[in-house]
Amino acid sequence: MRTLTGVGSTPLSGVGAARWYRPEAGLTLPDRPDPSAVDADAELARFEDARDAAREAIRSARDRAAERVGEEEAAVFEAHEQFLDDPELVGDIEAAVEDGTPAEHAVHDRFAAAIEQFEALDGPMAERADDLRDVRDRLLRVLLNTDADAVADLGDLPAGTVLLAERLTPSDTAELDPDAVAGIATVAGGRTAHAAIIARSLSIPAVVGVGESLREIEDGTDLLVDGADGRVVVDPDAATREGADAGPAPPVPERVSTADGRPIEVAANVGSEAEIAPAAERGADGIGLFRTEFLFYDREAPPTEEEQYEAVNAALSAFPDGRVVVRTLDVGGDKQVPYLDLPDESNPFLGRRGIRLSLDEHRDLFETQLRALLRAAAREGGEGLAVMFPLVSRIEEVEAAVSAVESVAADLDAEGVDHAVPELGAMVETPAAVFLADRLAERLDFLSIGTNDLTQYVMAADRENDGVAAYHDPLHPAVLRAIDRTASAAAGTDAWVGMCGEMAGDPEVTELLVGLGLDELSMSAVTVPAVKRRVRAVDSDAARALADEALACETRAEVRDVLDG
Amino acid sequence: MERTVTVVPEAGLHARPASKLVQAANRFDADVSIGRADDGDDGLVRADSMLSVSGLNVGHGESVRVVAEGAEAADALDAVCDLLTSEVEAESEREGADAESDADGGDPT
Repeated sequence: MRTLTGVGSTPLSGVGAARWYRPEAGLTLPDRPDPSAVDADAELARFEDARDAAREAIRSARDRAAERVGEEEAAVFEAHEQFLDDPELVGDIEAAVEDGTPAEHAVHDRFAAAIEQFEALDGPMAERADDLRDVRDRLLRVLLNTDADAVADLGDLPAGTVLLAERLTPSDTAELDPDAVAGIATVAGGRTAHAAIIARSLSIPAVVGVGESLREIEDGTDLLVDGADGRVVVDPDAATREGADAGPAPPVPERVSTADGRPIEVAANVGSEAEIAPAAERGADGIGLFRTEFLFYDREAPPTEEEQYEAVNAALSAFPDGRVVVRTLDVGGDKQVPYLDLPDESNPFLGRRGIRLSLDEHRDLFETQLRALLRAAAREGGEGLAVMFPLVSRIEEVEAAVSAVESVAADLDAEGVDHAVPELGAMVETPAAVFLADRLAERLDFLSIGTNDLTQYVMAADRENDGVAAYHDPLHPAVLRAIDRTASAAAGTDAWVGMCGEMAGDPEVTELLVGLGLDELSMSAVTVPAVKRRVRAVDSDAARALADEALACETRAEVRDVLDG
Repeated sequence: MERTVTVVPEAGLHARPASKLVQAANRFDADVSIGRADDGDDGLVRADSMLSVSGLNVGHGESVRVVAEGAEAADALDAVCDLLTSEVEAESEREGADAESDADGGDPT
């Protein structure tokens, strides 16, 4: 038995047989035969068959991604299909085959030229080279009759597989079947990468960023992936397995308070309609972050007011006594919606995203969304509805958003449509919002700290860039002080303060967060039971002392020592 | 027939706008080509090819020339130029299905 350590990403455990995912394995081309020895007609037919097979695989990958994750990840497969059927590529490859080149060599050569052409371009087009590689590899796998074992079909893995990979893309992860995959371990990557978040929403145990030592593990090795403790155990003994087989912690259905009686709301983040029921089953008190983007993905036009009203209704119905915090449309940055024609920006995280779009070019979408929300607030149980605005950085934005709410309310009034104004809040994700938190709290009913973006902006570290992964940690003193400042600013007002970033779901920091003064924690549903248990064990005074000690630290290592101590 | 227009979509001819344009070019019985207005005939590429259209790397505000020939040249020209000059692309119905069957078809020559 040997233990490798990494970063726990989904706090569940699973045991299974190792299986490496190497998307480029087995794609070595055979030697080129003499052109006269090539049967061009047969090669053309092979190419046609390979395209058919690849098209089928791309479409089913697309459908799976759309259904399981309901994410923008599905859209990438549409571009793949367009490349597969591109008349220039297809025409050139067929011409080469007719001149005596075997199909696999013709595919390889033409795609190589296209990839090189795209890599020479600046900006977003360079990323298209990855799409071309993906399509090329699908074709080559069929043409080279690659042993099915060499490249695992991610959507069709045998039950009890522990998937090992250098890294997984969000689209890879979206294809995984949670019933078959016992766990995921990767060499690289962090817990806030989109692939890790998708794994959590699929409740697949995951440990990421294990490093070089993972590479030594061979296919078929027995592995325990322990996402709670961030470890991968090689050849686990019976006792270790048993601990893992216990499965996820049973839910705590009732609301929880600290040992000394301070109530803490523990809610779930929900990013698709399919995640609503599991959130309730896991004992969440409500929804602390209802991401409305899923209503906009995977379609050709924005959802209607009625569709949005129904979706919010479904969430309210699942939590008749709880709060449902709906975030207005938060696109831009890394979240693209094809038909919205978001600008290609050199620095999208610092560009047009969140409330900036809603108050400007997406004003119409914003108003439609507000109409749906104000109507939902008037339905039975609608008093639990709360609405928050993403990426606030200026008071003017809050004023404009609130006046948009008022004007929508006036319109509904004039039309004689039932409506009510829900609780209104701002997400605190920017340093600007932290510094203005006192003023935001005076104007609004609540603040919700989004630690993923807040960490990214406070530390000036791209959350998807492994090169700065060490910066992307909310336990850096600067981020803790930003959280403290926000909570303290609201403490003197009637506004409540929550947290809906990934940090909120880490039971290791529950005491710290309670000590920092948060009233609500919202997280992936899977971590709700563990956090509820932690809350019950917390003593408010001791938690405040712990928070003060952490805030006095100068380095992340010191903070870690305080938390471990 | 041909027309020269200025590219309005913020994203230029990348990603989704490129994808839409390729779908539109595939929908009609016409050979449509596109290129930078300054590049003359040598700069024209097939508008029904995702590879060629996105490979042009045309940005917002650039001037492009669209040439269409064939039975439905006028309609094709209108459709492609509409996409190039609309701020928010107009969503037309059923084009996904149409473009798909055309794209799979044989070589028109």
